[in-house]
Amino acid sequence: MPRLGLSALILCLVSGIVLVFYYRPMGDVFQNVEEITTLVPYGWFFRQVHYGAGQLFVILMLLHTLDHFLRKRYRIYLFKEWVLMIFSLCLCFFVLFTGFVLKGDKEGFFAGQIFMNILEAIPFIGGNVSKLFIMPGDSFFFLPYLYHCFFIPILIIYLIRDHIREWFPNQRFLLIGTVGVFLYALLVKPSIDIPPEASVAVVQGPWFFLGLQTLLKLFPVLLAGLIIPGLFLGCLLVLPVIRTASPVTALKGGIAVVGENGLHYVLVIALCFYGFLTLRAAIWGP
Amino acid sequence: MERRGFIKKGLSWLAYISGAAALAYPIFSFIRFRKIRKKTVVFHPDEQLAAANFKEGIYLIKRGSDFNALSARCTHLGCTLNYDAVSRQFKCPCHGSLFAISGKWISGPARKDLISIPVKTEANGDLEVEFEI
Repeated sequence: MPRLGLSALILCLVSGIVLVFYYRPMGDVFQNVEEITTLVPYGWFFRQVHYGAGQLFVILMLLHTLDHFLRKRYRIYLFKEWVLMIFSLCLCFFVLFTGFVLKGDKEGFFAGQIFMNILEAIPFIGGNVSKLFIMPGDSFFFLPYLYHCFFIPILIIYLIRDHIREWFPNQRFLLIGTVGVFLYALLVKPSIDIPPEASVAVVQGPWFFLGLQTLLKLFPVLLAGLIIPGLFLGCLLVLPVIRTASPVTALKGGIAVVGENGLHYVLVIALCFYGFLTLRAAIWGP
Repeated sequence: MERRGFIKKGLSWLAYISGAAALAYPIFSFIRFRKIRKKTVVFHPDEQLAAANFKEGIYLIKRGSDFNALSARCTHLGCTLNYDAVSRQFKCPCHGSLFAISGKWISGPARKDLISIPVKTEANGDLEVEFEI
């Protein structure tokens, strides 16, 4: 599964490097994306490969992390490695999300607006934090573009460099995997882009944020957009430390294990609930 | 001796923190700076006919012979609102907030009323709406 992820990552990077030659984050971004899809020779092809391979890479990384989580493999890893894995996964989702924003269509623009407003809802420092990631006005897509094309891909490759070194020697698998992912990516068509000026009754976020969109509908921004996701991530991160950080050795076999198992199941329930919210939003709307 | 070591350590930490802050402050000031830009939306006479006229993020609301302008941005998370001519309400396509044609919040997660913007009438009948972006 992670080796197939490397194939997807390679395809994603190659197609991304090609797309960067035409894509412009300023001016009419929607028109620029439509030109790539309809006017530029093989533009649709590179966009589709980039979309399909990118989605698959993040899904495979999610399943890879989920596999470690469900089998409680965080017990055998160093805390630092576990933190690194969760952080890398968050970065993968951030790249996928900025890719969704950079489509420049109605969905992408709204996703960017929502992201900016959620960051602004952080008490005291929100206004300043949001300016590090996205700014309103003419250069709305510029910062997400920088993160999507430059900062985060380099950081992800740096963080998973040991993984890549581990997966790379099996070149035959890599070749077959890359061909497989390539064929898969050609079958997965991106959803239809909605022009920014079009009036649409319901606008949906990216599939992985559909659950969050529902939560934002039900609860205040601070709770749904920051506290709930933050709490989930925080619990996921401290999971391996509960046992090892216990000050009393005798507790390590007792209360600490119960605590760790309890938190593990709470997280499993939270994940199931989020999955249910996502499915519900996908079928009946957020 | 112990106290001296403690003071020395404290001072070196203070120097590190001051150095980092001295470096971080100009970087952060540079990154967060944003020039305030104003945008003017002009509604020509033929764009003032409906009860709610939309143009470039602004709704121009007609009440008899009077006009007022509302920002089309939802006060919840900034999505652009749709106007429903049948119910005479604004609806957010992202999280479902509802607003009356006056801009007053009705239901949904937004909680705040829409932002009202002053309208300037020109001699040729154009209506100008100026706002910060």
